[in-house]
Amino acid sequence: MEAKMQLNTLMANMFATGLLDDQFRQLQILHEGSSPDFITEIITLFCMEGEGIINDLAKLLNKPFVDFNKVDTLLYRLQGSSATVGAQRVKDTCIQFHKFCQDNTRYGCLDTLDVVRNDFYDLRSKFQIMVQLEQQVWTFYRKH
Amino acid sequence: MFDLVISDVHMPDMDGFKLLELVGLEMDLPVIMLSVNGETKTVLKGITHGACDYLLKPVRIEELRNVWQHVVRRKFSNRETNNNLDFCKEYSKNPTTDSYHGLSQVTSGSSDQGNRASKKRKEPHSEEEDEGDDNDAHDNDEPSGSKKPRVVWSVELHRKFVAAVNHLGIDKAVPKRILDLMNVEKLTRENVASHLQKYRLYLRRLSVVASQQASIAAAFGGRDPFLHMGAFEGIHNYQPFASSAGIPSFNPHGLLSGVGAAAFGLEDLAPSKAIQCASSNGAVSHCMGDTNKFHIANLQEKNQANLAQGLTAPLVQPQLQQKWIPQETSDLSSFFSGSALANTMSGTLQRVTSSSFPPVELLECTQIKVGAHSSIRIPSASSGLLERSVGLSPNLQDSSISQQCAIPIDDGFSVNKLPLHIPFVDVSTTKLDASFVVPEQDMDQKGKFPERVTVLPYESLIAADRSKCGTRSSGSTMLLLSDTGRHSKYLKFGVASNSRHGMDEMVNGSFNYNGGASVPEQNDVYDFGISKLQGGFNSSSCSFDGLLNSIIKVENDDVPFADNDLGCELFPLGACI
Repeated sequence: MEAKMQLNTLMANMFATGLLDDQFRQLQILHEGSSPDFITEIITLFCMEGEGIINDLAKLLNKPFVDFNKVDTLLYRLQGSSATVGAQRVKDTCIQFHKFCQDNTRYGCLDTLDVVRNDFYDLRSKFQIMVQLEQQVWTFYRKH
Repeated sequence: MFDLVISDVHMPDMDGFKLLELVGLEMDLPVIMLSVNGETKTVLKGITHGACDYLLKPVRIEELRNVWQHVVRRKFSNRETNNNLDFCKEYSKNPTTDSYHGLSQVTSGSSDQGNRASKKRKEPHSEEEDEGDDNDAHDNDEPSGSKKPRVVWSVELHRKFVAAVNHLGIDKAVPKRILDLMNVEKLTRENVASHLQKYRLYLRRLSVVASQQASIAAAFGGRDPFLHMGAFEGIHNYQPFASSAGIPSFNPHGLLSGVGAAAFGLEDLAPSKAIQCASSNGAVSHCMGDTNKFHIANLQEKNQANLAQGLTAPLVQPQLQQKWIPQETSDLSSFFSGSALANTMSGTLQRVTSSSFPPVELLECTQIKVGAHSSIRIPSASSGLLERSVGLSPNLQDSSISQQCAIPIDDGFSVNKLPLHIPFVDVSTTKLDASFVVPEQDMDQKGKFPERVTVLPYESLIAADRSKCGTRSSGSTMLLLSDTGRHSKYLKFGVASNSRHGMDEMVNGSFNYNGGASVPEQNDVYDFGISKLQGGFNSSSCSFDGLLNSIIKVENDDVPFADNDLGCELFPLGACI
């Protein structure tokens, strides 16, 4: 069916561009033994949490005195979520972000924050499409 | 119940390592850390905080399949002292326990079989659940910890514990290592873990109290120790022990300073401190402070109008934090306050009584404290004693309390008089002037104190704080005094230590057993005698035993110690020593 094909294409694309890595495949394997909404839930959680973290990061970095420890902690959370979901690009950007953080360079951090934000939003939009397609596929298979 | 905890390291509300410590100690569960941060120093931090394992994100499912090992391993080692063989049999004979089939496998390190076996069962459940189920099944016969004989933390035991903790460093002290250092048979890691947890809570409380006291002390400046007490006492709320601060040296060799302090991580608690305290005006405070802190902490936790709080508060000695010793001075009660006993009450009472504060102040103090627990009564006795001791607290002499108390202590201060019943409310203020001997009938009100300790000053103290009288019969703390014989000794002890704290502190378990200053190191607390007050405040030994007994007794009676206690109840005063 078309939705399924689109989904496959999308996923292939995401893997190819480095947005997703092998961990996502692991999730897919896990998905088989779990509830049907497993992937959808994980992706949704990631998107929500990720957005929150990025906003918090922006707030912290825009303060006159940046608390790099907090920034660091937030980064680890984002990095952890990304790693768990398989969001490779976001994760790698976080790693770079950490370096700037350790150097306590605000501008470096702000720049990297922008990169992270872009990567994240890119991934998120693709995830949203993925979720929709999955639902279509699921609905399709339910009917038939 | 749970068998395993997997926790993230970087969390918004709490640091993962802190959670690791808390959970590990409080619940004695294996904790696995999880993080994307794989830096060596971070992983090392996890290990030193006691994590069983440290997983890196993204976590592979295969790694998760192995986590049951940690549960089994822990249970296995916990059962070392109990029926090891049985445990093995239990696991091996159960055919359905695939995952445990390999208890031997586990120990031999081959986890594959275990994994495979457990895999089957794990499909519908998470691994943790399965482990939990299995463990439950196996644990029916031997529930981990629930059927273990209760360990009584004697003074000696606690002393060892504290020494071990100090040796390792309070931050690095993990139950396993403490256990190794203590080298006590039949003591399990779980026992140590729960004890350590209480100890840590106690220390935290002390630091809270200390800081509070410090502020208060700062306000008062360098007053005579006894004056300190007075000063504190002046502060109605919880001064009580503060005044005892004057009595600093209660630190019976080590009661407070040694064991107690050490145990609780009071940095500077040196056994000799107590004695020094006595002599130095300022010194006092720290003792008091600590106890105060302790009490305060305890008190605060307890919603009751714990006098102890009052006591702790006043103590404000700047140095308090370090000294557990203050407890010595201030109050056993404060100590006790910490402990479940009346925690607050007892502490306060003791403080009040023990301190050599000017009578008035004492009264004030006691008032505050007294209210809290009936157990505090004892302090009054001690205060009486203190007064007797005279040597220590000149102020006491002057204080009305002392006057009143003067009596008994040597005379037989009937310890029994201690009004145990909690509501001090009963004590009328008028009693202040009356002899401190509390009518015996008061004692039994709460029923906790079989024996009354006539703590004369105490009564007055009690009277003072009627409102505070809680209904708790913190008898447990008082228990120390409950024994007649003990009481007298204790009283002496308390008095000797010129600080009410002696009693209180001991009770509070803060090990501050200030115990009569004069208490010789001997374990026989009873022989302190007031005369010794002037001498070193060894007290620790003296009253410790008594306190210890009381405490033990209390424990046995299942006195509901507040959780906030440092677990004083666990540590009989003797521990302080």
